[in-house]
Amino acid sequence: MKRDNPLLPYLATLDEVVDLTPDVKLFRIELNDPEVRESFDYQPGQFVFVSAFGTGESPFGLTSVGYRKGPLEVAVRRVGTVTGSLHDLEPGAIVGVRGPFGNHFPLDEFKGKDLFIIGGGIGFAPLRPVITSILDHREDYGELTILNGARTPSDLVFAPEFDSWAAAPRTKLELTVDAGDESWTGRVALIPRVVAELGFSPENAIAVICGPPIMIHFTLIELKKLGFADSQIVTTLEGKMKCGLGKCARCNVGEKYICRDGPVFTMEQISQLIEQF
Amino acid sequence: MSDYISRADLLSWLEKVSQSRDLVAPVKIEDLTLFQKVERVEDIVFDPGNTDLSPKEFFFPKSEVLFYVDRSDGRVELVPAEVEQETVIFGIRPCDAKGIAVLDLPYLEEPADALYRQHREKTTLVGLSCVSACPECFCTSMGTTPDDASNVDIMLTEVEEGFIVQVVTEKGKALLPEGLLSSKEVSPPAAPSVASVPSEGIAEKMHQVFDSPYWDRLADRCLHCNVCSYVCPTCYCFDVRDLRSGGRVERVRSWESCQSPGFTKIAGGYDPRAAKGPRLRQRFAHKLLYFVEKFGVTHCVGCGRCVRSCPVNIDIREVIQDVQGLGVKSEA
Amino acid sequence: MNATEQIVAKARELLESGTVECVIGYERATDGVNARPLFVYQAEEAGKLIFDQTCAHNLAKYLLNRKGKATAIVAKPCDVRAVNLLINEHQVERDKVLIIGVVCPGMVETKWGRVSEKLRQACELCREHTPVVYDFLVGEPGDEEAAVEYPDVARMEALAIEERRAFWEKQFSRCIRCYACRQACPGCYCSECFAERLDPLWVGIRIAPSESWIWNTMRAFHLAGRCIGCNQCERVCPMNIPLSLLNRKLEKETLELFGYRAGVDAETPAPFATFRKDEKLEVGE
Repeated sequence: MKRDNPLLPYLATLDEVVDLTPDVKLFRIELNDPEVRESFDYQPGQFVFVSAFGTGESPFGLTSVGYRKGPLEVAVRRVGTVTGSLHDLEPGAIVGVRGPFGNHFPLDEFKGKDLFIIGGGIGFAPLRPVITSILDHREDYGELTILNGARTPSDLVFAPEFDSWAAAPRTKLELTVDAGDESWTGRVALIPRVVAELGFSPENAIAVICGPPIMIHFTLIELKKLGFADSQIVTTLEGKMKCGLGKCARCNVGEKYICRDGPVFTMEQISQLIEQF
Repeated sequence: MSDYISRADLLSWLEKVSQSRDLVAPVKIEDLTLFQKVERVEDIVFDPGNTDLSPKEFFFPKSEVLFYVDRSDGRVELVPAEVEQETVIFGIRPCDAKGIAVLDLPYLEEPADALYRQHREKTTLVGLSCVSACPECFCTSMGTTPDDASNVDIMLTEVEEGFIVQVVTEKGKALLPEGLLSSKEVSPPAAPSVASVPSEGIAEKMHQVFDSPYWDRLADRCLHCNVCSYVCPTCYCFDVRDLRSGGRVERVRSWESCQSPGFTKIAGGYDPRAAKGPRLRQRFAHKLLYFVEKFGVTHCVGCGRCVRSCPVNIDIREVIQDVQGLGVKSEA
Repeated sequence: MNATEQIVAKARELLESGTVECVIGYERATDGVNARPLFVYQAEEAGKLIFDQTCAHNLAKYLLNRKGKATAIVAKPCDVRAVNLLINEHQVERDKVLIIGVVCPGMVETKWGRVSEKLRQACELCREHTPVVYDFLVGEPGDEEAAVEYPDVARMEALAIEERRAFWEKQFSRCIRCYACRQACPGCYCSECFAERLDPLWVGIRIAPSESWIWNTMRAFHLAGRCIGCNQCERVCPMNIPLSLLNRKLEKETLELFGYRAGVDAETPAPFATFRKDEKLEVGE
């Protein structure tokens, strides 16, 4: 959205806060200005800066879908000062929103293909709108397998949606944890291992992965073993950001700025980056 | 025949200017020469050489409030900061003026940075060309010259007892009252010769030697302070935080450097560029490769300040030379 | 053999024998007259090493980047005190460092491209020309002189409080928070400096006189009883702030209160890191 002051946030109200895990909350945020609300459009993969006034702002992947025109949803893990301040807010609090920034998942290129969506921990947040878009337009896409992993069962995010995902047509939901608890009867295995076991076929398929760098690193190895080409693997990169505009010169990986050229990249694009993290 | 102004007339004109605008010019502060707001025009120094800090801080301040957060009656209002005062920067050298033009590239690219644009609009640049060059200067290898008038509004060139005046832009013209300039039979001196560095093709070469162990070796002695970035006329990284001042919340942006520890560290502790070699390489890759790929010019104007100021003599001229030579002969 | 020749020979020997992986010393800077740090990994490169009165850098700081790796370091008496400090604080292992100590004639005042004959003020005041510990010594140890004195600090102490405050306000107003002082200081090695902490917020990111005041004074206090007086902070400051003066004031107080100077050995517990039950302050003391 065009503005004459791109560092000035829109005012927004925290409508609802939902505890997803012990340290992750889902925030539903409604932009205050009706004109802004009307024109604020975004695609899966894009992100916003959310301000906790008095502390600062941080980037968060949008986990809702723009076409539903509802409140903006972001999943926030308590890990620093801004996320800490956000976690202390009650519904009704005023926050700031800047965005949307970044590129988006190439959903058009996913059409007609089988999709393997793999997410670890809070990394699952940017994948949720991809799943929502696919399920809302089910006929456009092939088989869908969702692999959601976390450290422990209570760290699995978006649990309220698991049933509807599992029940959707031509859709499989696989859950896994690194360590179970007394009530967990599901799979206990690291994500890369599960990928190897599921043996997903790369034929007319795309794998979309998000999660901690180490999880992505080892999952990639399994996907390559299964025969996935770099161009068939899509992921998001994360970096410290302060502006979202490519002006604070901080979030670059080599010649690309994560905030403008990303955060969505194919493995092919990443392997061509001059700087490798 | 050239437009001319005597030194005395120049000072009295600047005095008048300072009455309705902020006049910023080089002054001496404890052994340093710095651009400061001038109270008395007699304080302005006309020494050869350049200031210790660049004048970028008048467009990109060391710290700047972006907006204020006003809370009253349960309502929240964001009050953006505005640049209100008109400023004239006197005595800016062609390299520093080019530096401002280089800062325009990221900052005015859509969506333009609001405060930077306001600073630019409200500032008139009165340049002073260089009649001598420092041994560390290498502006001619970085896209400008000691007498380059293309990035200022008015350019002065020192001649006997006064200055040749070149009116470059409408903005500059508007600053000069009728009858201030006279005509004089005098030509500008030849521009001084400036040392050169082999900057031709540097971006391509940087690309080729990106993975060389050269960067780790260079970074061995780097202290990872912020001096190079802060004295540089073109460095523009910043940090943003909300701070409280006098009971009000302000969102503040301040200078930062890619060399700071923690520059790329995210909450939770992961830092993709924690190692010294890649961190130092980022500085040179940004200046000599990424910026060139994006905007077509080097992110360096050859002013020589980092060369003079680095406490451990990391010298960009030497780096350019070394990079050009890497891969040609075997390196240690 | 002069100092340079001795250092080159020793460096070559240490690298050829594999006793160390790296020798940290000095070489000529690109202005042709000053020095800069040099890391030598191959014996063939040892010929680049020099030693003269422009070698003012404290190389001990670099030992923190080479923890656990056998390293030789060319060290003046002040640099050796820094090594002792780092050993005392368990940051560096003594048996991983080979100290090539140098009997120091004092370093001269230099600017970029210009070297004077005049000694730096810190070196004028210095009374320790032979390093207190070393594995090899370059130069002949002389007679050590009288005790350390602080005439520069005494001059400041003679001023009224308001004058001192005004002096420091003026000096700190020039601070641009480049943190060169911190990065060059061997005593500053916290993995997260208090200035970077946002919670609690001690300084914040604003670059302005009041914040710079907090930065500089708090850093001085964090070095109280630890500063070994190498003068790097002042040397590297691009804004010519006389930082050593502040540190020396606290050094003087520590000496008067505890009879303690940092770095004279690697064993004596530092006053502010030590609690003794027999030291009890009454109210008002």
